[in-house]
Amino acid sequence: MLKVRNLTKKYEKVLAANKVTFEVDSGEIGVLLGPNGAGKSTTIKSIAGLLRFDGEITIDGKPNKSIEAKRIFGYVPETASLYESLTVWEHLEFIARAYGLKDWEETAEALLARFDMEDKKNKIGKELSKGMQQKVSICCALIINPRMVMFDEPMIGLDPKAIKELKDIFIELKQAGCAVLISTHIIDSIEGIWDKALIMNKGEIVYVNTRDSMLASGESLEQIFFALTEKQEDKTA
Amino acid sequence: MKALLFLIRRTLQNLIKGIFKKPSLLIGYIFITLFVIFMLVASFALPSGAIRRGSPGVFTGILSLAFVFMYYSTLKIGIEKGSTYFRMADVNMAFTAPIMPNKILLYAFIKQVGSTFLFLFIGICQIPNLKNNFELQPYGVWMVLLAMVMYALSYPLISMILYSWAARYSRRKKILKRLLDCLALAVVIFFVISLAKTRNFGEALEAVFDNPVSRYFPVTGWTASIATSAMLGFTTEFVVGLTGMVLLIIGTSVALYRLNLDYYEDVLEGAEYIEAAVKAKREGNNVNFNLKIKNKVNQKLSGTGAAAVFFRRLLELRKTAFFLFLDRASVSVIIAAIIFKLVIPDDTGILTLSYILFFSVYVLFLFQVQGGTGKELEKHYIFLIPDSSPKKLFYATLAEHIKNFFDGTVLFVISGILFKSSLLTIIICILAYTFFGAVYTYGDVLTRRIFGRIHSKGTQIFIKAIVNILMILPGLIVGGILVAATEKEILLVGVVALWNFVLAVTLFVFSAGIFKNIEAAN
Repeated sequence: MLKVRNLTKKYEKVLAANKVTFEVDSGEIGVLLGPNGAGKSTTIKSIAGLLRFDGEITIDGKPNKSIEAKRIFGYVPETASLYESLTVWEHLEFIARAYGLKDWEETAEALLARFDMEDKKNKIGKELSKGMQQKVSICCALIINPRMVMFDEPMIGLDPKAIKELKDIFIELKQAGCAVLISTHIIDSIEGIWDKALIMNKGEIVYVNTRDSMLASGESLEQIFFALTEKQEDKTA
Repeated sequence: MKALLFLIRRTLQNLIKGIFKKPSLLIGYIFITLFVIFMLVASFALPSGAIRRGSPGVFTGILSLAFVFMYYSTLKIGIEKGSTYFRMADVNMAFTAPIMPNKILLYAFIKQVGSTFLFLFIGICQIPNLKNNFELQPYGVWMVLLAMVMYALSYPLISMILYSWAARYSRRKKILKRLLDCLALAVVIFFVISLAKTRNFGEALEAVFDNPVSRYFPVTGWTASIATSAMLGFTTEFVVGLTGMVLLIIGTSVALYRLNLDYYEDVLEGAEYIEAAVKAKREGNNVNFNLKIKNKVNQKLSGTGAAAVFFRRLLELRKTAFFLFLDRASVSVIIAAIIFKLVIPDDTGILTLSYILFFSVYVLFLFQVQGGTGKELEKHYIFLIPDSSPKKLFYATLAEHIKNFFDGTVLFVISGILFKSSLLTIIICILAYTFFGAVYTYGDVLTRRIFGRIHSKGTQIFIKAIVNILMILPGLIVGGILVAATEKEILLVGVVALWNFVLAVTLFVFSAGIFKNIEAAN
C-alpha cells in the first residue's frame, strides 16, 4: 500500500533522509523507530506531502502528492494544530467536506464517543487541552475511513483510556485491511501491536524486520534498537 | 474549494459568536469599533493642514520611510522563514486533504484580504495626524488607504516568491538578505549625510526620498507614490506606481498559482514561525520573541546564592544585546523617543529633553510590562535558592537597573548633544529614566504580591498601567507646577527623578518579602 523508494531529503548541508526505502502493506502495522534526529519526522512529512524530496513515494500505486492518494490517506501529526475558532464538530465537518465524504455524521459521533468527547462537540479549538486536541486530530484522520494512515508520536498527551482506545483502533484498522505507519521513539508504547519494525538512524533505515522473524530469532525490539543505534554512535565517536 | 469556504465562513461566524458570549470582550470590541468610526469620521471630516502645512517633500519623506521600513522588515523575515498566510492547522489538515494546492493558495489569499482590514484600521488611526500636518487632496485619505492595501497584499506574495527561489540554497538566501541590507544601509548612509548637511530631520528625509530614483524605485517607491498622491495629486509617479503594484500583485499571484504548485515546504517553516510568534504573544513574550542569541559573550557566571541570579541575568542580557546592553528594546526606545521629539517640537524652547524622557519612559513601560522581573517568577529556580527574600529580589532586579542606566545614558547623551542640553539635565534625565524603570519593576512585583498572579494578560497590563500612573503622577504634577512657575526644565526632571527614587525604594521595601508570599507560576 505504502511504498517509499530511495527517499532522500537534504536541508542545506544536512542529509536528513538518505535513500530511505521501505513498504507497509495493507493490513500491516509498521513502526518507524529511531532516536531524536534520526530522520523520522522528515520521512513522515515527506510521505504526508509536506516536503519536496528526491525518490518516489506511492500510496496504493499513486504518487503521494496526487489528489487520488490523498483521498485514501490519513495523517495524525506530532503536534495537533486545530483551527482556533472552529468547534470540534466543525473540524470533522470540514474534513468531511474536504474529502467529499457522505453520511459521515454517524462515524463522527462514534469516534467522539470512543474518545469520551461527545460533550466537547461544541467546544472551539482553543478551548481544548493538548490531549483533547490530539484526540480531535486522531478523529479527523480516522473519519475519512483511510486505507493508509500515518501517526506521528500519537500517544503523547493522551490519557490512559485514550491510549488503550487508540491501540484497539490500530488493531481494528489492521483487521479492516488498512496500512498503518506509526512513528515513535517510545518502544514500549507499541509493544505487542506492530507487524513490521523499521529502525532509522542518522537519516538511514538501518533495520527492517517482521515481528514473526524477530521473535523466531529470540531477540527483542528494544535490544535490537539499542544495539543498532548505540553501535552507530560508537562508530562516529 | 467549498470546504475551504466553509472554513472561512465558520471561523468568522464563531469569532462573532465568541465576542457576544463574553461581555468584557464585547465592550472592548464596541469601544474599538467606536474608536475606529471616530477616527474614520475624523479622517474625512477634519480640515487638512489645521495645525501646520508641511511641505510635500517632507510628506513624501515620511510615507516613503514608513513603507521602506515595513517592506524591509517583512521581506527580511519572509526570506528567512517564508512569509505565509498559513497556520499549522492548514498545514496539517488542508495540505494533506485532497484539495488542489492552487485552491488552497486562493483560500489563503482570501484570508489575507480579510486581515488587511485589520491593518487598515491601524493605518486609519494615523491619518488624522497626517491631515493635521499636511494639506491633503479631497481624495487624499483614500489614496493613503489604497497604498496600505497594496502593501498588505504585495509583501506576502513577494516574500513567497523570493523564499521559493532561495529556500533550497543558503547562498541564495544570503545574497537576498545582503541585497536588502545593502539597500537599507544605502538609505541610512544617504540620510545621515543629508542630516549632517541640513541639520534638519525633515529636509534630510526630503533629500533621501523626494527624488526620481526613490519615487520610481520598484515596490517601495511605487507604494509610496500611491500614498503621496494624497497630497501631490495624480502625477506620473502615481500612475507608474499603481500600474507597477497591480502588475506585481497579479504577476506574483499567477506565478505562484500556475508555476509553483509544490509550495507546501516553502510555507511550512513560515507557518511554524507564525505559530511560535502567536504562542509568544499569548505568553506576553513577544518583545523577546525571535531575538538572536549569541553563543559566546565576554561575560562569565559568578556569585553565590541570590547573587548568582544577577550574573545569570547579566549573561542573558549580554547574549541578546548588539553591544554591551544595547538590544532591540534599547534601540526602539532611543529611536522612538528622538523621532517623537522631532515630530513634536517645543515652541517655548524650555523643554530640551523632557519630551524625550517622558516618551521614552512610556515606551519603556510597554517593554517592561511584558517581561523583565516578572519572567523570573515564572520559573521555579529563584524560589529554591537558599537565600533571603529581599536579597533575591535585589539581585533579580539589579541587572534591569544596570541595563536601564546604560540605555538611558546612550539615549540622553545622544539627544543631549542633538538638542544642546546642559550636562546636569542630561545626568538627571539618565537617573530619572533609571528610576522610572525601577518603579515599573518593583511596582510589578508589588502588584503581584497584592493581586497574586493575574491570568488574563490584558487585565494584568491594565492593572499595572493604572497602578504605575497613580504612583508617578504626584511627581509629574509637582514638577509641572515648578517648571510652569520657574521655566527651568531641570526642576521638572529633578523632581520627577527624586520622586521616582523615593518611590522605587519604598516599593522595594514593601515588595521585599515577595518570595515568602507568592506562589510559583508553573
